[in-house]
Amino acid sequence: MDARYDVIVVGGGHAGAEAAAASARAGVRTVLITPDLSRIGQMSCNPAIGGIAKGVVAREVDALGGVMGRATDASRIQFRMLNRSKGPAVWGPRAQCDRNLYPVAVRCVLDELESLDLFQEMVSDLVLEGGRVTGVRTRGGITFYGTAVVVTAGTFLRGRIYMGQEAGAGAGRAGEAPSIALAEGLESLGLEMARFKTGTPPRIDGRSVDFSRVERQDGDDQVIRFAAYTEEIIPAQRPCWVTWASDGLKKVVSDNLEKSALHGGEISGRGPRYCPSIEDKVVRFPNAPRHQVFLEPEGLHTTELYVNGLSTSLPADVQRDFLQTVPGLENVVMTKAGYAIEYDYFPPHQLRHSLELKEISGLFFAGQINGTTGYEEAAGQGVIAGINAALKAKGEDPLILRRDQAYIGVLIDDLVTRGVDEPYRLFTSRAEFRLLLRQDNAIRRLGLLARDVGLLTEKQALVLKDRLDQENKLTAWFHDTKLAPNDVDPLLVEAGSGPISGPVRAVELLRRPRVQAADLLSAGRSDSDIGNPQEGLRAGVLRAVEVELKYEGYVGRERERAARLEEQSKLLLDHDLPYLEFETLSYEAREKLARIRPETFAQAARVPGVSPADLQNLLLEVRRTRAREGRSL
Amino acid sequence: MDVDTIAAISTGPGVGAIAMVRVSGPEAGEVLLQLAPALDEIPAPRMARVIDVCEPDDGEVIDRAVATYYRKPESYTGEDVVELTCHGGVMAPRLVLSACLAAGARQAEAGEFTKRAYLRGKLDLIQAEAVSDLIDARSRAFHRAALRHMERGLSARITGLRESLVHLESLLVHHIDFPEEDEPPVALNVIAEEAKRVVQELDALLATAPEGELLREGALTVFAGRPNAGKSSVFNALLGEERAIVTEEPGTTRDALEETVQLSGFPFRLVDTAGLRESEGRVEQLGIEVALRYLKGADIVLFCIPAPEETSEEDRSFLEKITAPVVLLETKVDLTDGPERDTTELGGLAGAIRVSASSGQGLDQIRQLLPELAYSGLVGSLGDQPILTRQRHIRALKIARSEVELFRSSLKDGLPAEIASTHLRPAETALEEVLGVITVDDVLDVVFREFCVGK
Repeated sequence: MDARYDVIVVGGGHAGAEAAAASARAGVRTVLITPDLSRIGQMSCNPAIGGIAKGVVAREVDALGGVMGRATDASRIQFRMLNRSKGPAVWGPRAQCDRNLYPVAVRCVLDELESLDLFQEMVSDLVLEGGRVTGVRTRGGITFYGTAVVVTAGTFLRGRIYMGQEAGAGAGRAGEAPSIALAEGLESLGLEMARFKTGTPPRIDGRSVDFSRVERQDGDDQVIRFAAYTEEIIPAQRPCWVTWASDGLKKVVSDNLEKSALHGGEISGRGPRYCPSIEDKVVRFPNAPRHQVFLEPEGLHTTELYVNGLSTSLPADVQRDFLQTVPGLENVVMTKAGYAIEYDYFPPHQLRHSLELKEISGLFFAGQINGTTGYEEAAGQGVIAGINAALKAKGEDPLILRRDQAYIGVLIDDLVTRGVDEPYRLFTSRAEFRLLLRQDNAIRRLGLLARDVGLLTEKQALVLKDRLDQENKLTAWFHDTKLAPNDVDPLLVEAGSGPISGPVRAVELLRRPRVQAADLLSAGRSDSDIGNPQEGLRAGVLRAVEVELKYEGYVGRERERAARLEEQSKLLLDHDLPYLEFETLSYEAREKLARIRPETFAQAARVPGVSPADLQNLLLEVRRTRAREGRSL
Repeated sequence: MDVDTIAAISTGPGVGAIAMVRVSGPEAGEVLLQLAPALDEIPAPRMARVIDVCEPDDGEVIDRAVATYYRKPESYTGEDVVELTCHGGVMAPRLVLSACLAAGARQAEAGEFTKRAYLRGKLDLIQAEAVSDLIDARSRAFHRAALRHMERGLSARITGLRESLVHLESLLVHHIDFPEEDEPPVALNVIAEEAKRVVQELDALLATAPEGELLREGALTVFAGRPNAGKSSVFNALLGEERAIVTEEPGTTRDALEETVQLSGFPFRLVDTAGLRESEGRVEQLGIEVALRYLKGADIVLFCIPAPEETSEEDRSFLEKITAPVVLLETKVDLTDGPERDTTELGGLAGAIRVSASSGQGLDQIRQLLPELAYSGLVGSLGDQPILTRQRHIRALKIARSEVELFRSSLKDGLPAEIASTHLRPAETALEEVLGVITVDDVLDVVFREFCVGK
């Protein structure tokens, strides 16, 4: 059996599902091939989507017509807005999800797509012609031909699982076979490869937990949704629990350190600093009095709990022993042991911003294969790789998001420009335009872009238009409406602000600390020509307008900085500049630039190890090179 | 490939026993071999070798010199360098240089060696500037300030301030990006306090700026007084042996004499103007205008009245208009033995000194008093702390200061941390621009080093 498609997606995790959906949405014939169709959209680590920065990415994926937002809403069993006590620009929506419902929801969304086929098989090799990819072969000998191939292999490439000092066992995830042939096939293309590691914590039986000794943590605001275009039915809600591990656990871990795969030298790959194993925490911060442990429900119909905070590669009996030192877990029954996994990734400087390989036309990588970690990071890359694979098949220019446009833009630019030396995760601090990249304005930032490349259905495009219209109207109301002292003085005083002497524009009052947009709207109702503008507003519209107006000065300042940077991006650097011969640059800068091959001067400035002096020299060298070739700069 | 090898006479013009020609660039060693056919190979680095310098064309011996080879990056410029110490005078250095040029080197542009040192990371921007300041220094005090910069005194201070800002940012990142961690975030008011300390440090540096800038040019010290008040005699007496280079501004001496002089090691621009009396004489008329022009920018006014003469109404009304500190010089004290003048009617004087240009009386008092007036913040502490002497540094530090202050006040006003933090990056950038150093975003590194984060 042979088959022909425009785009072939290899892998069905969070990157693969999004890549397949984006490609199919863009209207090209797409197939997703994965070893187990029942595990599409599997949550291999913690059962949660979102968080600080990551939650914004989930909303960006949704704004781009992606799967993640809808699947999260349809499977979430607890929602919290992290950082709610801080400014709205760094709010991070996060949902605990039912581990079984999430993949079902992903599958439901994929099943809506007419241009998408699914196929269950392990891909063992790529088909190439010259420097371009033309298809894939499966282990069973089937060849799929396609114009573009997106590989989203996650941790499956030569994955090895470690628990204690036993020699690791080959596995892509617990209980699933690794992809060895594909890893070897990719390596034989001459691509640079490296190893990373990551870990998971044990799971426990909730019936054995003494809940009187742990702290209950309920969700908050149910009104906020991840999906902006579609309202899914949200399931029943469940609490999480918090407890603290202290000296007892530290002793068990310290006494058994040599049995840890991570610390006993079994694993050579680097792990993430921000997601350390409990072994790492105990060794690196011996003076920390206690470590938080979150008990997260695995789903609505199971008593199983995920023990977040105690990721480990110690032997199973040691895991049980240290669990039982934790208050509330004295008699705990462990249902699954934690483990560490080591896997191949491809250092991402080998990619273009479109996520296509620089050296192999038509081949795209997305997700953990690029050295990232996290469902959201994978999904964000998946959307971009998927749409660009589709655009490639159509012969159109790729879609590239800027750093001031989306966290996904920051993520991909960091990957291809700075490379990775540990599994990459997003933080708000990675974005220099943090105030622009908010969860409340993902739609405004990306919606029209998504519509224009065909990522939205007609219905979604209508919702988008309606929403943006509402935002514009409301913004105009705040600018145009003058509020009288009688109407607003009580609420101003309530907010600890001074009363006003005459009518003042609503937008000016909104900029005062602690003054809320909703209160001004109610107060100004009588003066409004458009009736009560709060009526019939879509969820999130008021919040989005409020944040934008309240911090307009700061947001504007960031926009100006972004615009200045954009100027530097207009100076393009040729792909084949002889960096190693640019002797006026430091050796380190020459090597780094030759490796990264930045596309613009602005990108060169972000390459680590390139100093301002190097940049001045680079400019001169480029001028000289071009002058020799009779071109102007 | 495109880097050429440069050469120049690095010692000043004029007659001296020795001079030095410096060659820098990838071909420096080759140039040396061409000049010294007796050498079979490039000498070991940092070993002085006596050579006969020959014309590359015909082998004619031009001079005997000491050649020292430095291999990159362990050289002043960070490139291969050859230093040829040859005989001084008019001819020898020129011949050696032209031999270097004949051997393939290019005549260096002014400051090019130091520029290369900066571009190769051997010096930061402040140090590179200090090199030119050291060469230009016309007073002991300015020389010491420049030397401090050269030794990274100012760079270290600014690097430290930048690190403080990165640390502040890392506290905010812990606050914003890791809300569910073992350790609670550092309270915002603690962060605001830390920012206050940075503002204070910036203020301390900026406080040196007015005097630091004076140090570069010299404090403008204007002699004033009626004709024949003895101004020129004191002016000349102060110049005496301390007389320094005459200012290069043409034309000024026609209506006023200006000389740079160092008093107790500090630079002063002494200006002798025409008399102040309103008069019909055209020259004096011009003199008054010039005097007023100088008086506007004066850092110190030396007001001269001959000891035997009375103070007039005219003197008093003149002094009322002066905003700079005024020192009364009672001149020609050798011509009278009357009592000291009662100066109260002249208003708030910064000092009164009885002077005689002919006996030298009072001159030492002037040499002591003027530095105290113009450089009160630096006298005694010079060399202990870095001083801002350049507009470029002052401008950048002012930007940094105002941004950090805005950061602090917005935290105080209850603005969210991520809003306040928009002021930190511009502040860091300003400091980085002063240093001209590599910018590494190491905020996250600080977070991971200092906090146990991660679930």
